[in-house]
Amino acid sequence: MAEKYELKTKEVWDGNTAAAHALRQAQVDVVAAYPITPSTPIVQNYAQFLADGYVDGEFVMVESEHSAMSACVGASAAGGRVATATSSQGYALMVEVLYQASGMRCPIVMTVVNRALASPLNIHGDHGDLYLGRDAGWIHLIANNPQEAYDMTLCAFKIAEDEDVRLPVSTNQDGFLVSHTAQIVEPLDDDTAYKFIGDYKQRNPMLDFNNPVTYGAQTEEEWHFEHKARQHKALMDSPAVIERVFKEFKDLTGREYKLVESYNMDDAEVAVVAMGSNYETAKIAADKAREMGIKAGVVCPRSFRPFPLKEVAEILKNVKAIGAMDRSAPMGTIGALHNEITGALNAFGYNSIVTGYIYGLGGRDTTVEDNLEVFKDLALNAEAGKRVTPLQKFIKLRGPELSFFKVGE
Amino acid sequence: MATPTERLENWDEFEIGAVLKSFDENGNYSRDHSKTYKVADWRVNKPIFNRSTCIDCDNCWLACPDTCFIVEAVENKKGKKQAKIVGIDYDHCKGCGVCVEVCPTPIKSLLMFPEFTDEKEALANWPKKEDKKD
Amino acid sequence: MQLNVRWHSRAGQGAVTGAKALAEVMSQQGKYVQAYSVYGAEKRGAPMTAYDKIDDEPIFDHSKWFTADYVLVIDPSLVFNPEIVDGTHEDTKFIVTTHLSKDDLLAMPQAAHLKDKKLYVLDAIKISQETIGRAIPNTPTLAAFVKISEVVSSDSFLKSMEAILSKFPQKIIDGNMAAMKRAMEEVN
Repeated sequence: MAEKYELKTKEVWDGNTAAAHALRQAQVDVVAAYPITPSTPIVQNYAQFLADGYVDGEFVMVESEHSAMSACVGASAAGGRVATATSSQGYALMVEVLYQASGMRCPIVMTVVNRALASPLNIHGDHGDLYLGRDAGWIHLIANNPQEAYDMTLCAFKIAEDEDVRLPVSTNQDGFLVSHTAQIVEPLDDDTAYKFIGDYKQRNPMLDFNNPVTYGAQTEEEWHFEHKARQHKALMDSPAVIERVFKEFKDLTGREYKLVESYNMDDAEVAVVAMGSNYETAKIAADKAREMGIKAGVVCPRSFRPFPLKEVAEILKNVKAIGAMDRSAPMGTIGALHNEITGALNAFGYNSIVTGYIYGLGGRDTTVEDNLEVFKDLALNAEAGKRVTPLQKFIKLRGPELSFFKVGE
Repeated sequence: MATPTERLENWDEFEIGAVLKSFDENGNYSRDHSKTYKVADWRVNKPIFNRSTCIDCDNCWLACPDTCFIVEAVENKKGKKQAKIVGIDYDHCKGCGVCVEVCPTPIKSLLMFPEFTDEKEALANWPKKEDKKD
Repeated sequence: MQLNVRWHSRAGQGAVTGAKALAEVMSQQGKYVQAYSVYGAEKRGAPMTAYDKIDDEPIFDHSKWFTADYVLVIDPSLVFNPEIVDGTHEDTKFIVTTHLSKDDLLAMPQAAHLKDKKLYVLDAIKISQETIGRAIPNTPTLAAFVKISEVVSSDSFLKSMEAILSKFPQKIIDGNMAAMKRAMEEVN
């Protein structure tokens, strides 16, 4: 029986420590992982917890991230609660198996620390890896600070393992800006946290020898479409479960999470949409913009997949100008988040002006001032009643101004 | 082989994750179990097994991709339990010929014949040592 | 008002641990905190910086850059790096480790950037070598900061630190406690 860890009501934890404690409290049966910066401390702390007797499960040290996720799929199909952690190149190497995990409906939890993708090699935070896993059939939750990294990881197990979901869930936190930044985290005690998640409920476990099952069937044109459609429906239906879990979490802790987080949106005329730590930085910029007379608000989709189309459209429908902030190299389009937002607004018949901003690649520092500049741009568009700034701009890029689709071009 | 029409279920009807169960609720082999899935009609050539030259090395049993070699438990001279190859499950053999390739006896104990070949006739005309080419 | 503390150190000297310890001490005083460092591909011995933000309100700013109210230089050679005065204001206080006296240090042309700055010195390397037995200048410098800044009383600080260090062997705890007390007396 695992020993209880003595926790203070307020700990000073970085995002990695917070995620590691959440994994420990979930009493995961199998963690298979291959450490990579900046998520290494999650795996390292977890292994330490296990060595010190705080965890009963197994830790499998594998030879690559492809093997890590493969071992996770095997352990999950066998019938255990399973988790892992990764970042960047490790995430990229896992991608092939991410699709296997979701297709086999393995409720694996992966604590991702977002980091840029090479080349050039870079260890710092951006959302390149998150966007790489966008269509992998996973639920992707966003955590903007260490407290949320802890809370989202606990919720992730409960969402993934729900009878109506049975899909893998990733929790995402910004490399270094959250993962290596110590802030106050209020953890639950071990028993309360475990009780919130609950015992693991098996479905078709391979280790049930009385009811042998086959995982990994081949399905050609007669079957494949139906299986993928069913998986998609599970994702599209998952917001109901996510919201229910968030509600239970609020009842337990008082901390409230929504599918779409927002700040000062009631009367906002301009809004920034961002995921990750910049959501919080932009809040301060919004306050400053309001001091300058710009009615500014901030929005953050808590879940990148399933993307809360209707909720995003609803919260942005009265906003005149929107800045979609993508922390990833767009490589041939305006930006993944930008495209989601324009799609959501268009789908529900709203016509706000949406411009895209690329920021923070490879950990480029994005300050309150940088966000304020975006609000100033948006105010120009709102004032003019049409787009007068370029469709795509780059924040704090060194060199001559780079932008695309300038007005009049 | 096309899936029979009666088995083409709708997207909301089958088990999630493309999981296939071996047995149904009553403990009978399920329709997804390979036992109920016959591939005899895939075969053009079939292997015929000659017990009289077999040394029970089990290479064919190990190599067969469809577990088609039927074995019986027997006791050897020392009273130890041993597997004896006794025949081929022609419902699941698709005629790939791997068993013939791996058969190590000087005169092969497994040979491929056209599907319509009569087994007794084939055994009666089994090649002798001097017939062996190369 | 947010209080910003920047640490200059060499990787391995314990600036990250020091910054996290300060954050923990201040969190026990009911403050909100952020402690982080700027990482690169550097190895042990490379110059690096660590940061503390301390506030009465929750801290939402996740950008790395700030204007330091205090600059703690825990490696004697980094004192001569003009970058230590970047991102500071008129009242920024510099607490640096050096074997030199304040006057001797300021007389050196390599320390010209520290002229007219609010400067405090201590020899955290010597203190840590003589008390802990190793050149780990983080805890003595942190103690000197507490003494100068008065963000928390010396007694509460030492009590918090004893609890934070409790996972270490008694010898290490005793050495650190002695180092911190000495640093509080010697910083000038």
